[in-house]
Amino acid sequence: MLSEFGHVTPHIGFIYPNESDMAWTQLIVIYPYITGLVAGAFVVSSMHHVFNIKSFAPISRFALLTALCFMFFAPSPLLFHLGQPTRAFNALITPHWTSAMAAFGYVAGFYVCLLLLETWFAFREDIVAMSKVRTGIMGKVYGWLTLGSDDVSARALAIDHKAARILAMIGIPAACGLHGYVGFVFGSLKTREWWSSDLMPVIFLLSAVGSGVGLLIVLYVIASKFRKTPIPNDTMRGLLYVLFTAITVVMVIEGLELLEIFYKAREGVETVRELIMGPIWAGMSIQWAMSVFVLVVTSALLVFDVHGKRLVNWLFMSGLAMMIGVLAMRWNVVIGGQELSKTMKGLLTYYPELFGRESLFVVGIISICPYFTLWLATKLLPPWEETIVPEHRVLDAHKLA
Amino acid sequence: MTTPDKKPDTKTNETVPLSRRRFLEFLGKGAVCTGTLAGAGRAIGSSEVRHAKRAFQQNDEQYAESMNNPPKVPDYNWNDHQWAMGVDTDRCIGCLRCMEACKMENSVQMDAFHFRTWVERYVYLEGSNTAIVDSQSDPNNIENAGSETRFRFDNRYKNVKVDKAFFVPKLCNQCEHPSCVQVCPTGATFKAKDGPVLIDTTYCIGCQYCVQACPYGARSFNESRGTVDKCNWCYHRITKGLNPACVEVCPTGTRIFGDRNDPESPISLFIRNNHVQVLKPEMGNAPNVFYKGTDKEVV
Amino acid sequence: MPKHIVRLLVLIAVVATIIFSAKYYFRADSFYQYGHYRGNAVAEIASKVPKLQGSASCEPCHKKAYAEWTDGIHRKATRKNAIQGVVYKFGPGCEVCHTGPAGNHPSKEAMPLSVEDKVNTITHSEHKIHPANVPGRKLLLSPEDMRGVCLNCHEKLEARPKEQKQIEVASHSGDELCIKCHNPHSPRIIYASLPQGRRGDAQAGKVAAAACGGCHGEKGMSTSPAFPNLAGQHFDFLVDALKAFKSGARKNDMMGPMAAGLNEADIRNVAAYFSRFSCGVMGGDKTKAALGKAKAANCAACHSAGGLYGPGAPGVSGIPTWPNLAGQNAEYLVNTLKSYQDGSRTHPVMTSVAKTLSDADIDHLSAYYASMKCK
Repeated sequence: MLSEFGHVTPHIGFIYPNESDMAWTQLIVIYPYITGLVAGAFVVSSMHHVFNIKSFAPISRFALLTALCFMFFAPSPLLFHLGQPTRAFNALITPHWTSAMAAFGYVAGFYVCLLLLETWFAFREDIVAMSKVRTGIMGKVYGWLTLGSDDVSARALAIDHKAARILAMIGIPAACGLHGYVGFVFGSLKTREWWSSDLMPVIFLLSAVGSGVGLLIVLYVIASKFRKTPIPNDTMRGLLYVLFTAITVVMVIEGLELLEIFYKAREGVETVRELIMGPIWAGMSIQWAMSVFVLVVTSALLVFDVHGKRLVNWLFMSGLAMMIGVLAMRWNVVIGGQELSKTMKGLLTYYPELFGRESLFVVGIISICPYFTLWLATKLLPPWEETIVPEHRVLDAHKLA
Repeated sequence: MTTPDKKPDTKTNETVPLSRRRFLEFLGKGAVCTGTLAGAGRAIGSSEVRHAKRAFQQNDEQYAESMNNPPKVPDYNWNDHQWAMGVDTDRCIGCLRCMEACKMENSVQMDAFHFRTWVERYVYLEGSNTAIVDSQSDPNNIENAGSETRFRFDNRYKNVKVDKAFFVPKLCNQCEHPSCVQVCPTGATFKAKDGPVLIDTTYCIGCQYCVQACPYGARSFNESRGTVDKCNWCYHRITKGLNPACVEVCPTGTRIFGDRNDPESPISLFIRNNHVQVLKPEMGNAPNVFYKGTDKEVV
Repeated sequence: MPKHIVRLLVLIAVVATIIFSAKYYFRADSFYQYGHYRGNAVAEIASKVPKLQGSASCEPCHKKAYAEWTDGIHRKATRKNAIQGVVYKFGPGCEVCHTGPAGNHPSKEAMPLSVEDKVNTITHSEHKIHPANVPGRKLLLSPEDMRGVCLNCHEKLEARPKEQKQIEVASHSGDELCIKCHNPHSPRIIYASLPQGRRGDAQAGKVAAAACGGCHGEKGMSTSPAFPNLAGQHFDFLVDALKAFKSGARKNDMMGPMAAGLNEADIRNVAAYFSRFSCGVMGGDKTKAALGKAKAANCAACHSAGGLYGPGAPGVSGIPTWPNLAGQNAEYLVNTLKSYQDGSRTHPVMTSVAKTLSDADIDHLSAYYASMKCK
């Protein structure tokens, strides 16, 4: 008998019958995660472009490319999740503005455009140079990317820099908006006690910045190891400051959020307690263990004024921990919120599918895509601020031909 | 959109001062973020009177259109009706005929996870202050019925002392301020002028945001169609002068359905002659399903 | 302004124009007509065809069942304390138990069908799909499933309002099926109006019954008080009894081998033959009979023509599958009740009933029923 109902989400207490099929699953976990990485990476790139903090200069263009590549894949979990993906454009054709979700297409579209423009301005000098030295297909591609103008005069470059700075300035509130908005999608739902919180957008935003910084640290360290280039100490220190700020604020606000739930102790608070002790205890443990780890390590790095190789190693681990912690936090919010029944009298336990449209397999594929795209993008537009040596490029036209 | 020949006197039908509505509409035409605010504001504005003349989120022009050029449904004008449902929980025997009939009538998936309507059982054991709740899709009840396509409540309280127990049928509340309509990004779900909240299944993208937003768990996702499904009071029946399927088959008269514009309709009499309440009033959704004889534990 | 900026602005303008024209081009025609939705959707949703069509729609084809229901308690089920001023037209109609059949013809998913109904509907040329083949739904045909249909409303559950007629299954009928006693279309009308099985041929039965006469008498009046009279017994009861002997469900050293020699047709014919006769009054002790009459109220629920719901000839079962007691041999009745007591014969109802009777009760009851006239 049990096998017949094997796909029933196991539950305790009373849940509404329709709740036993969970509406939003692991794809919706990685959607805010990926947009979070975008927001974080963009904030780091703006450190140089807007605030002109020199220590971030080596990583600034790389951060921009990272943001762009991850942004390309931010909508893909949603598309896989939709019951009717072919109708996705209905939300753009007739957006219903009272819905928090209606804006997604516009916000994401706007943000992709903004990132494309800023990347273009930031790399235009290189594109023009490449279009001159490259031949064949790639030469054509770079030629198109120049829009037929090879104007790299001082005046033109000054305009480019100004444009890039303005775009970055627009981009910061846009990045905050994009991710605060994702928090709003969850926080504005009055039906779910675990989501319905005014702090939700802030939590999402700050943890996003944290995870984005973590991602950049990890990618930058790995890239530098592969390229056998030294890692500038100042850059690492700068990333450390951002990471430390993010993790402290995130932890304080998340603590406040939990405190508020239990202090207000509205109807069903016992069920919330059981949720934390029950279905999401593993997620909560990972989230808080990772957060504490990051907090302790970054504090120690600051207190003991660590530099050099030790700084790189510990910061690398903190960055990784931050990414894992934020992923766990996304899981706890998205899945946890639904594991707590709307009746407040019952709990579900969600077991992810392995294969299928909304499965861990798809999640894995979608998660890998941005990294792969980023690798390709660094080949197309090398962000490392060095002289252009066409022979070193993998996608060389002669090899392709 | 055709221009109406005769502009209805919107001022007499106003439920909020015109200046406020204009202001809210001005906001509504604003930018992305203010749109949300305006919608919420408009939703609050248009709801204070029982016989709301305007449908949810309708502007002047659309209101005039719905008056002068109603949808082409044979022998039916949605301006003449204001549907509502009553549930007299004292009479419910938990036979689940309503649920079966609904599944047949509306081709709801024949399994234990998709329902347009369902029944919950609340049992206070002797000396207990809280109720134990189960519905027909509780695993024990499924096992008792021996089939995933037919449901029956099991007799699990046979050998224990029970203080009080009762059944509560549930369905979509067709709220005055439907959270599901508020959050639908495309306009695939909407509130019809005569009351029911409908789903345009040819337009739904299947994002399931509405499933999350419904406080009553009334919406479910139909995987085979890729769209969301929910009770619409059998709109295809009520527009033909029939009762919804669940009302039609209820053997005890637990479910009462009718037109609130008709003071002698069953539902008008039910509401007038009984103390009725709605579910989760604190959500602010203003449901249109009225319950008699529910209990503090009913969620 | 540098050339690349100009070109960029042109590119942006072109893309934006395309996007915004697409937005208007792809918008559904009636969108925004009545609000933020496709106005045509309202009429589309309303145009669906209803499946449930009410009891009246069943009448043209299922005249017999419909007539039973019209006169029965299910049709008339009262709605006491209904909403003030609201008049209900009827109680549970056809589609309450036969969920949604009208719109599902010919597939008739989930319908407990009687034999007669099945013939009427499935022979229709368009009704070729076998109902059991409908995916996701099984046809209810077995009697056990039909019991479930009754119990949906009438099983005693804590949460059910007291006004609802409810039974404790174990004490009400044990393993017996509801339709043994009740006609589901009109539960208070007892079995007699249910569709009948095939009748036997009394003439042919006379030949087959030649062997029975030795004990049960040529015309069903037995030759010894130890053997039961068969004259005037219900046809269905006789058929059931013979089948039970044949299958071994009921054990008797004489009847077992006798019944084994009869085929299905013989059984029906023999039953038809004996059920035709009228029985006599066996007489008996008047004082014992008077005492027995007082005790017989308990038996009358089943073994009287009126059954549960009214007066009727005592000892003549209202249910054709159950035996008549009137005019039976007193000695045979005593033996039978005692065999229920000691367990040598079993029956879900009778075993428990017999155990409540003292030896004197048995004596008195047997005398009472023996003194009654059976038809």
